[in-house]
Amino acid sequence: MIYSYIKPRRKSIFTEDIQLLITFFTITLLMLFLTYAFLLYKDYSFTVQKKENLAKQEAILSHVDKIEQKIAKIQEQKNLSEEVFTKNIVLKDSISNLFDLVPVRITLSRAELLENGLILYGITPNKDIYNFMLQAPLRSIFNRTYSSFYPAQNGWLHFVSTNYIDKEEYIGEK
Amino acid sequence: MKNSISRQYIYLISISLLLLVFVLVFAFGVLIPEGKKYRLRHSELIKVSKKLHEYEDLEYDTTEKLKDLQQKNRTIITAFSMLFNPTRFEEQNKKWFSNLTVSKVNLSKKEGYFAIYEVNTSSEINSPKSFYNFLDAVNKSDWIIGVSFPIDFKRKGDLIHASFRMKVYCNNRDTNVSTSVSEAK
Repeated sequence: MIYSYIKPRRKSIFTEDIQLLITFFTITLLMLFLTYAFLLYKDYSFTVQKKENLAKQEAILSHVDKIEQKIAKIQEQKNLSEEVFTKNIVLKDSISNLFDLVPVRITLSRAELLENGLILYGITPNKDIYNFMLQAPLRSIFNRTYSSFYPAQNGWLHFVSTNYIDKEEYIGEK
Repeated sequence: MKNSISRQYIYLISISLLLLVFVLVFAFGVLIPEGKKYRLRHSELIKVSKKLHEYEDLEYDTTEKLKDLQQKNRTIITAFSMLFNPTRFEEQNKKWFSNLTVSKVNLSKKEGYFAIYEVNTSSEINSPKSFYNFLDAVNKSDWIIGVSFPIDFKRKGDLIHASFRMKVYCNNRDTNVSTSVSEAK
């Protein structure tokens, strides 16, 4: 016996409303989790990059330090060589001045140039020529000047002139 | 009184509210703190990258400065790294003297980057002019040499016997020191 003229419909739990709701829920949750995953990935990526950059900074600083040491060494080499070359030139001028200082009438037999003094050995016709023409200029240069004489065979005088600059002065010049 | 809202709608509203609560909790409890952390890390990375660029620039500038110095002072750098060779020195400078002998090479002292050797030299010259020429030539030699006191000039017939001490400066490297001394012997 039939109570209805239409065929019965099959009923499902997934009605149109439920389907719409599930789609909406899924999209919403997916967006939330994707955003979270993106943030986590970026965090990790930033941390790794920061570590790499810090390591690079360390390496660069160490390299720069080595280069600066090389620069310091070259500058010291340059300064020292200039100092040495200047001293050589000054020495040349000093020796030249010394020989120019000796008058024609006095003959030197030996000259000892010391760090703080000068010892001259030679022969002079008489004491006056020595005193006026050699000792006077030497006295103006050195702090202490000592002279000793002994007769030569030809009637002239052998002399030894010892001249010193005080320690403080030559250390100052150094 | 009959209730007009069906049970199905009540379920739907309940689930929707549940989702809303979840979204709010997740957003405020997880996403927003994580977003703050993201911004913080990003700004830290920018700072570190900026610093890295500064260091890279510094490295470039320092390297350029070193290259420039090396180029300008090539002769001096080579001279400091050269080991003193008495035979070669005699050959190079004998033209200024009638006779030249370099007698002894001794390590005098070490000062920072440098080792200083002392060399005793005896020679014979025609006139002081030859010695002046030698002093000029020494500044252009293969080594960094300073002529030092005591300097002794002694008349010997027509010639002047000159004996003096020289200081040879070179790089302070222990390996070089032993090599130089043995070579000089």
